[in-house]
Amino acid sequence: MISGRKLWNKEARAGVLFASPVIAGYLIFVLGPMIASFIFSLSEYNVISPLKFIGFSNYTNLIDGTDPLFYKSLGVTAYYVILSVPLQILLAFMVALLLNHPIKGKTFFRTIFYMPTIVPAVASSMIWLWLFDPDLGLLNQLLKVFGISGLQWIYSENLAVPSLVLMSLWTIGGTMVIFLAGLQGIPRHLYESVEVDGGNWLHKLFFITIPLMTPTIFFNLVMGFIGSFQVFGQAYIMTQGGPNNATLFYSYYLYREAFEFSSMGSASAIAWVLFIVILGLTMMVFKTSALWVYSESEGKR
Amino acid sequence: MRKTAGLAWTGMIALSVIVSGCSSNSGNSNTNEVSGNTVNNTSTNTANNTVQNEPEKHDPVTLKYTFWGSPNEKKVQEAAIKSFTEKYPWIKVNTLHIPDAYTTKLTTMASSNQMPDIGLLNGDVALEWASQGRIYNILDFLNNDPDVSVNDILPNTMYYWDEGKLAGVNGALEAFALFYNKDAFTDAGLPLPPTKADEAYTWDQFVETAQKLTLDQKGHNALDPDFDPKAIKQFGVTMPLWAYMNGVVSNGGQFINEDGTEFKLSDPEAAEAIQQWADLINKYHVAPSPTQSKNLPSGATALQSRKVAMTMDGQWSLVDLGAASKKLNFGVGVAPVMKNKATMTLGEPIVIFKDTKHPEEAWMLYKWMMNPENTLELQTSGLWMPVLKKWYENEDLVSKWAAGNPAHPDGYQDAVMRNAFDNGFPNTSYYVKNLSKINSIIDPALEQVWLGKATAEEALAKIKPQVEKELKGVYTER
Amino acid sequence: MISSRFVSKSLIYLLLAAGACLCLFPFYWLLRSSVMDQSDIFVIPPIWMPHDWLFSNYREALTILPFNRYFLNTFIIVVLEVSGVVLSSSICAYSFARLRWPGRNLVFMIILTSMMLPGAVTLIPQYVGWAKLGATNTFIPLTLPAWFGGGAFNVFLLRQFFMTIPKELDEAALVDGAGYFRIYSRIMLPLLVPALVVVGLFSFLNGWNDFMGPLIYLSDEKLYTLALGLQTFKGMYNAQWHLMMAATTVVLMPAMLVFFLGQKYFVEGIVMTGLKG
Repeated sequence: MISGRKLWNKEARAGVLFASPVIAGYLIFVLGPMIASFIFSLSEYNVISPLKFIGFSNYTNLIDGTDPLFYKSLGVTAYYVILSVPLQILLAFMVALLLNHPIKGKTFFRTIFYMPTIVPAVASSMIWLWLFDPDLGLLNQLLKVFGISGLQWIYSENLAVPSLVLMSLWTIGGTMVIFLAGLQGIPRHLYESVEVDGGNWLHKLFFITIPLMTPTIFFNLVMGFIGSFQVFGQAYIMTQGGPNNATLFYSYYLYREAFEFSSMGSASAIAWVLFIVILGLTMMVFKTSALWVYSESEGKR
Repeated sequence: MRKTAGLAWTGMIALSVIVSGCSSNSGNSNTNEVSGNTVNNTSTNTANNTVQNEPEKHDPVTLKYTFWGSPNEKKVQEAAIKSFTEKYPWIKVNTLHIPDAYTTKLTTMASSNQMPDIGLLNGDVALEWASQGRIYNILDFLNNDPDVSVNDILPNTMYYWDEGKLAGVNGALEAFALFYNKDAFTDAGLPLPPTKADEAYTWDQFVETAQKLTLDQKGHNALDPDFDPKAIKQFGVTMPLWAYMNGVVSNGGQFINEDGTEFKLSDPEAAEAIQQWADLINKYHVAPSPTQSKNLPSGATALQSRKVAMTMDGQWSLVDLGAASKKLNFGVGVAPVMKNKATMTLGEPIVIFKDTKHPEEAWMLYKWMMNPENTLELQTSGLWMPVLKKWYENEDLVSKWAAGNPAHPDGYQDAVMRNAFDNGFPNTSYYVKNLSKINSIIDPALEQVWLGKATAEEALAKIKPQVEKELKGVYTER
Repeated sequence: MISSRFVSKSLIYLLLAAGACLCLFPFYWLLRSSVMDQSDIFVIPPIWMPHDWLFSNYREALTILPFNRYFLNTFIIVVLEVSGVVLSSSICAYSFARLRWPGRNLVFMIILTSMMLPGAVTLIPQYVGWAKLGATNTFIPLTLPAWFGGGAFNVFLLRQFFMTIPKELDEAALVDGAGYFRIYSRIMLPLLVPALVVVGLFSFLNGWNDFMGPLIYLSDEKLYTLALGLQTFKGMYNAQWHLMMAATTVVLMPAMLVFFLGQKYFVEGIVMTGLKG
């Protein structure tokens, strides 16, 4: 049994002190609103009138299918997450590797690859609406060359989510930049030792780059889950949840409930269900991280 | 590290400066004395008007007015408000233009009792908030006002949340009509569309006209056996599909029954009208599908580039058409008639919020904004139609806005103004409770109809039970 | 050997060039639309090169917006936000990555939960809280939280970077008798420059493009930001796309410039750490 005194040694005291800003921030800015929204979820509340406590019926309405859109929306979002997270991470990692090469003009390339991320959605959505146009869009005109025609893209119930995943691959700039920064941290001498041993680029990739990049990959994976489950903009701008609710992403469904149907109570219940889902998944990823994420400070690999 | 700490301090100091700067700003607007007037003693309004000669008697009052709209709407409304404050110098009006997510923003303001005094609001939101007691009954002001009475106002611009309870009057009236490119008609050798409601196209005539105006890449029209519906260059007509009630009412149908207990869109008359709209897309190939129209420019631009020959659209299109009139030879016709003459009227109301401490001054501003004279530029530009009856009936007043400018060509007065006045029917947002929820069920179903994947009858019958579960009645019977 | 290296190099350039074209496309489209007539923007097949270059769109857009004021407001918010994030996030991350204390992992998970509840349902209580403090209609709600560790995202990101730094470095310093703050500021922080630049860049771009925050908290047009201003071109029934595109281009330029300069910095930062490593 470790005594209290030993538990709170100098290192632990420094640790708590150094972490105190973000802990304080959480207590001041985050915790209160979270508790409030949980209370909303147990109430009938439209913001403009006082709330009425109704117990768990907002939750039971979701679970027992009284709101037919709940499971639909959950399914659609899960589909999006499963498709988009691995693809985004893979593509961003490959682009980052390419841009990490000692090539001419790489500062320009880096800026260019980041650009779709900073161009406002109003401009980029216009382009994608045209790309996805079944009759005149660029995608279908290209596919015609291969004898494929008539894909309906975002206008078809089956293809709508994959289309939006495709669109999301365009804005991987943030993930790519994080990978790039991670790649800079890999000491050169490790690569040199592989070269000395006669290894090729594949050896370097699998024995040096990927293992040392696991903390960054881990980060992007967790953030990918958290972000993709809350994807909103595309449904809001491109499809308004259609066709036939095929892109009724969870956050959009929830926003509509809160601010268009003014039922903040059920919106909060919807949000808390998502919270549990994301929390569960994140904890799972964290639990497995000990197996594959490299960490100097934990002293294990 | 000292350097970073120094930076942090500079940051904190800068922060506190900004903070204090801002709070003193917002402080100003709160220092005004509470007048203590409630709506119950609005009878003093009369007194207020006579006091104008001695403005020094008034305590200064600050009002907050919130609204949304295009840069032009913003400019003209700000100018109107400026002339208001010049006339009543003791009233200061802070305008707040909220460019997007208007209801979300006002909802957050409402959560902390920081509502504006007066402002624009979406009709369905206004009715809901009014029934929750957050909005004044405008009739209480109107009934005690010597200058304007409820009978002066067009019925279709008023949002009643109950009998005798008026949440607000529209900032402007809007109605639907047919807008077209005259050259397209000339090229097809067709006479121009009628402007008087009595002479309007029947539905069959309308379909035939649209067919003759729909051209494929090779120049065949939609009646030609060689017509290629996959390569359409010029569509005969476009219409905003959300405005399907134009067809439904014209065909004798209804959205819901009088007391709002039964869903009526699935009834034969309504479903038939919706099917006829869908047939324009999928059977006759004279109108773009929802997919195709996403890539079509709106109104004026579509007509000008000859992507379409006619649009059956809201009269607000006139602002763009008027602006393009040098390059575009456009005309205005009356919308086609299925069984009854009908044009959907709509608009969003201005309301006075219960949080206001100055209801009388808010009402004075309200009245000011209601008078088309003060926002004349918006009426002449084609964006707005007046909400006061006499601006439709008195020739002198009519000529002030509906003639002599590029946005109001010959035929406008019959095709839009008189038709709206005589045959206008209110949009669903004027009376249906829980409308946005109901629409969230109807819209995906109708989408299947527009895409030709289901008939109107099937699709609407299928959602009838779902919709009826969400029906919460009507605010007032129509 | 030389030829295979040449082939692989060409392949890399080819891939990069293809990707660059895809990524430049939206920007090109924006520029093109910003000098076109409203009626030409949507024409399909698209007009790739406008016949007339209507630079007047820019003048018109910038007269409609009080651009200088919006720019200044945005600038103040972004500077306060970025400095808060950069100054406060790394020390928290250091604690979670390198120092051992009871309950650390649990606390970290709790901090992460702040990203898991959709913002739509915490918006109202947050607003009510700021209103109670009398801080609505100021920049405080938009900037002050950044000074408290810069949020979970940034702490998490930096924590992952701290984890890759060889532990011999701080162990050696500890043996030499250095305190934890000294280890953090003298040994760890310099190695973290690339990641810190990334964090700074993200905060900058977030603040620059943030629409919902300013919309909700600012109720005075004098305090409006550029992102809010861009929405002005959308009207009740119609939008002035050409002006919106011109204004968007102007607003985008500083953001691009900052990114361009920033990413140069993190390359240099790396060279430095590379030597030490």
